[in-house]
Amino acid sequence: MKKRALHKDFYREVKKTRNRFLSILVIVALGVAFFSGVRVSNPDMVLSADKFYDENRLMDIRVLGTLGVTDEDVQVISQVEGVETVEPGYSVDMLGDVGEHQLALQVMSMPWELNQITLKEGRFPQKEGECLADSRLLEIGLLQVGDTITLKSDSEEETKDLIRETEYVVVGAGVSPLYLSLDRGTTKVGSGSLDGFLLLPAKSFAMDCYTQICVAAQGARELESYTEAYDNLVDELVERIEALEEEQCQLRYAQIQQEGAEKIAEGEEEIAEGEEKLADARKELADGEKKLADAEEELADARKELADGEATLTEKEKELSDARAELDDGWRQLTEAKEKLVEGTRKIEGAYKDYEAGAARLREGRTQWEAGQAEYEKNETQLSKLKQQKEQLEGILQAQQLSDEELAALGLPRLTQEEQAAYEEQLISLIAGITQLEAALPEAKKQLEAAKAELLAGEQQLAEGKALLDQYNAQIEQGGSEAIYAERDLEEAEKEWAEGNEKILDAREELADGKRRLAEAEEELLRAREELSEGQQEYQEAADENEPKIADAKEKIADAKKELSELEQPEWYVLDRQYLQTYVEYGQDAERIGAIGEWFPAIFFLVAALVCLTTMTRMVEEERTQIGTLKALGYSNHSIAAKYILYALLSSVVGSVVGVLVGERILPLVIINAYRILYTNLPQVLTPLDVNYSMTSSLLAILCTTVAALAACYKELFSVPAALMRPVAPKAGKRVFLERLPFLWRRLNFSYKATVRNLMRYKKRFFMTIFGIGGCMALLLVGFGIKDSILYIGTVQFGEICTYDISFGVEEDAKREEQEGLFARISGDGRMLSAMWVREASLDVEAGGVIKSGYLVVPEQPGELKDYIHLRNRSRQEAFPLTDKGVIITEKLAKLLDVKSGDRIWLKEDETRQVEVEVSGIAENYFLHYVYMSPRVYEELYGEAPVYNAIYGNTVSQDEKLEEELRRDYTKREAISNVTFVSTMAQRVTDMLKSMDTIIYVLVIAAGLLAFVVLYNLNNINVSERKRELATLKVLGFFDGEVSAYVNRENVLLTLFGAAAGVILGRFLHRFIIVTAEIDMLMFGREIAGMSYVYSVLLTFLFSFIVNAVMHFKLKKIDMVESMKSVE
Amino acid sequence: MSGFVELRQVKKLYQMGEVTIPAVDGVDFEIQRGEFVVIVGPSGAGKTTVLNILGGMDTCTEGTVLVDGEDISSYKNRRLTAYRRDEIGFVFQFYNLVQNLTALENVELALQISKDPLDAAQVLGEVGLSERMDNFPAQLSGGEQQRVAIARALAKNPKLLLCDEPTGALDYNTGKAILKLLQDTCREKGMTVIVITHNSAIAPMADRVIRIKNGRVSEMLLNEHPIPVEQIEW
Repeated sequence: MKKRALHKDFYREVKKTRNRFLSILVIVALGVAFFSGVRVSNPDMVLSADKFYDENRLMDIRVLGTLGVTDEDVQVISQVEGVETVEPGYSVDMLGDVGEHQLALQVMSMPWELNQITLKEGRFPQKEGECLADSRLLEIGLLQVGDTITLKSDSEEETKDLIRETEYVVVGAGVSPLYLSLDRGTTKVGSGSLDGFLLLPAKSFAMDCYTQICVAAQGARELESYTEAYDNLVDELVERIEALEEEQCQLRYAQIQQEGAEKIAEGEEEIAEGEEKLADARKELADGEKKLADAEEELADARKELADGEATLTEKEKELSDARAELDDGWRQLTEAKEKLVEGTRKIEGAYKDYEAGAARLREGRTQWEAGQAEYEKNETQLSKLKQQKEQLEGILQAQQLSDEELAALGLPRLTQEEQAAYEEQLISLIAGITQLEAALPEAKKQLEAAKAELLAGEQQLAEGKALLDQYNAQIEQGGSEAIYAERDLEEAEKEWAEGNEKILDAREELADGKRRLAEAEEELLRAREELSEGQQEYQEAADENEPKIADAKEKIADAKKELSELEQPEWYVLDRQYLQTYVEYGQDAERIGAIGEWFPAIFFLVAALVCLTTMTRMVEEERTQIGTLKALGYSNHSIAAKYILYALLSSVVGSVVGVLVGERILPLVIINAYRILYTNLPQVLTPLDVNYSMTSSLLAILCTTVAALAACYKELFSVPAALMRPVAPKAGKRVFLERLPFLWRRLNFSYKATVRNLMRYKKRFFMTIFGIGGCMALLLVGFGIKDSILYIGTVQFGEICTYDISFGVEEDAKREEQEGLFARISGDGRMLSAMWVREASLDVEAGGVIKSGYLVVPEQPGELKDYIHLRNRSRQEAFPLTDKGVIITEKLAKLLDVKSGDRIWLKEDETRQVEVEVSGIAENYFLHYVYMSPRVYEELYGEAPVYNAIYGNTVSQDEKLEEELRRDYTKREAISNVTFVSTMAQRVTDMLKSMDTIIYVLVIAAGLLAFVVLYNLNNINVSERKRELATLKVLGFFDGEVSAYVNRENVLLTLFGAAAGVILGRFLHRFIIVTAEIDMLMFGREIAGMSYVYSVLLTFLFSFIVNAVMHFKLKKIDMVESMKSVE
Repeated sequence: MSGFVELRQVKKLYQMGEVTIPAVDGVDFEIQRGEFVVIVGPSGAGKTTVLNILGGMDTCTEGTVLVDGEDISSYKNRRLTAYRRDEIGFVFQFYNLVQNLTALENVELALQISKDPLDAAQVLGEVGLSERMDNFPAQLSGGEQQRVAIARALAKNPKLLLCDEPTGALDYNTGKAILKLLQDTCREKGMTVIVITHNSAIAPMADRVIRIKNGRVSEMLLNEHPIPVEQIEW
């Protein structure tokens, strides 16, 4: 009730001065956010991992036995107090072939309870022949679900001893809690580093005992990994398990002895069996020989029979050929007869023709005769006619002498004289005709009669000829029919012959057949004989071979007996999680973050505390009069101070809450996510609010602010009210140091003199501003510097140090000619500029008890190494050659091992192969560890020439297409195991570190906020303190710009100083962060690039400029009336 | 004939919610060049407001302010600033020296922005501080500080020297000495000097006395024979 006025005053104060209130709030929030956020990253990292471990039930302890571990061991360990779960299993390193790739794999049995796998793809294996692969292998693209993997060990025999089958189908991929990072450790198989793990069903293993027993400790899950409590719990359990070692090992020893004895007995039995088998074989051979003799006899009989058959056949054949001759004769005769017949027929036909011609002539003669006859007869008739006519005529003529009556009686005409003359003449011609005819006719009659006689004779002759001819013809016809009969006979004979012939041919064939069969039989016999002899030989050989083998086996058994008797007591290794590489590395990284959290946020906190102190002091100073008034009114110190303390409390509490929420939720997420690039298996990031850090940081912040407030009012509260009412004497002006240097002081123009004095006047503010700006600059520098350092790996490592472009992995066991051919092909390739043989091998380097894994590089031509890898000193940038004295190791390795030039280190390929060598130089290097060695040194150390297994090359250009082409051309080539491009590696590193950008953004934003809050706050105080002075300047006629310039000049100078301080602070901080944050296999660049300084300075000035711009408006608002007021 | 400085019906009104409070309620007066003017009145009469308006530190709500023929009441911010820097010298009650600068530097502070400045050392000599030029304000007495302030105002070579209770923070003798310095300056340099005070006792030393009461000029009288300050007692 009584303090209501004060409460009101308080709320109004907050409202009125909300900028001041907010600035305290923000700076507290920033401080708390960074302090708690960065600090909590370490526990958050641990917590996130612990959750993963617990969920997947990462084992706490692993028990390994030098001679394996047995079911009895499992039994005994499970009885140990404090053991929760026991799980035996197998784990063995093998090589796996997938397509062209050969992978070095840790082959393990599927877990039941411990080390559970988080399935990422596919499913769990369900039967033999199936396996689950490390999802890393899938991510790198070495493997796919559905691929078949062929596992093998050093020898086939060894493989068989390890696993039942060699081919496994990948059915799924997963993540194991045994591995958080990408690194899978080293191995003795393959290239030396493990590519990943492979999980098989337990029944796929052929080993007679387990290789390890995983143990979960009771109560360990409730404890957080990496903590002391956890370590203690597990350590105790380790001790209890180790206590069992002796007895169990004794038992194991006995068991092995017994098993050995059993095996020896077995071996002996086997030998006996072998010997028996040999005897059996011998007997079999004898049987065979007898059978062969029988067969030979049979064959001789057959041969004789065949000869008989042949003789008979020959006889028959002769008969047949006689018959043939006869037949041929018959045919000839027949032909001749036929010919004769044909001739006879022809002759007869000719005779017939003659006859026909004769007959024709006769017929013609007759016709002529008949014609002659007819003419004769006609002539006779004519004669008679003529005579008749004569008579007639004569009668007429005679009648003429008669009278006419008579004549008429007679019917005769009276002839005229002329007629009478014609008649008479006619009569004369008639008489001439008659006379002629009467003379010719008897001749003709005689001729005709002669012709007739001749004709008759001819006809008779012809008839006779014809009869003869007909007789002949009959004869010929008879001959013809005879010939036909003869032919028919002949044909029949022919047919018979043919049949005979056929029979003979058949017989001949049969004979040939018989002969062939005989030949075959003979051949078979021969073969059988051969086989027999082969069998004999084989037997001999087998005997020759087996006898020493048997002897050998006998010897081996003897050896085994000896070995067994000499067998050393087995040992156990009881290993806790400290023997898991990634577990340890992760813990170290978390600690590193913790280390950063230790120092880095302190800057913020310090600045925050200082800002609060100044702000509160100023606030109290401003309210001096009011304090005096309240005191005068009789308020207790208590209630007066309460206002300021409450003010500080409220702003810092709200600021802390905001800071805790933002800092602990976001910062660890950003930081751990950056680490998850390395620890890819970490499934989730947990960022719970950490009570401890929240409370400490908040309390610290609240305490700082409140104590600052308290300290600020302390002085005033103990003054008397009257003194408080009196104005405080203004801070006196003083000469500054610079004035003692007149040559410099005189050069400054008036405004700068004033500025310099002003700066020096408020020393507290001066240093605070410089600290704030310096912090901002430092943060920016750290941010950009970290990026530079990381980029170094890409630019310097792959641009200046490893300058070769391509590396071909060559199979070590490939034939010499093959390797040489390959090298010739590569160095002759038009796309390659040069190439060189190199031996690359992974190894461990030890010095002073520290072991780090690295790579050994032995160039065939040490003189040419500079074309591929630049060995140089980092600070002096001096190149040095690879000599035959000692080895050159890389910088980070030297640092980790704490060795320098001239020190000696151990190089270990495995426990049995280790050599000591002197370090002759330390080379700049940013990625991985290397040991460079000349071939001469290698030979001296290892007593043999190095086996080159890689070819480094430079290509004509780094064109992506060209590289792709080269990869395609060479990957599948014989003897090449892999083709790697430096550019790909560079790309991978760059990608890997890209998310570091987030950290840079966080830093830049934080820096901006810091700069802004500090500058704004201090400027505010500055302006409010000098209000009067500034108002006076205005009265004096300073323009707004000039007033701002008067104030800002100070800010610019402060920013300048702050930036300079920031450079120093930033370099220190950068170095510190880089060194603490870098992981073992990397070395970040130590230098910050020039441009980063430029950017940081520019950004710092930008922030400062923004604040100045804001201040300009604030200055504009200052009322000149302030100058009239009395000094408060 | 119009004066060197002329105020006509100058009003300064403050709006407080619905009420309008007049700080200056229609002031009229003129001042001739080279006069030593004393404006007197009780606290809250509005004399400081008048001075502020005259000095270009504030603007009037109504009325006209003419200085050497220029109407400064129409000036905006920037011209007002220029007016202040070139034509006005101001002497504060609490001297308002920059603590961080020596006496000489405080004078130079004003000089570096003015058009036609006098030599700083010389002006300081004139106000009697040639020995103490390199001292910081904290090392000077109140009177000495006020001398530095006057020197700072004079060195600008202004048309008008405005003094707001120049003796208010000084003891009697020192106050007198300062007033004398101002009077001498007026007489010797022909500078127009306006002094604001609540102390009516010093009115006789002025050429012109303006009394202000309740925001108005209650009386203005010309003094034909001003008395030298040494002879005034209060």
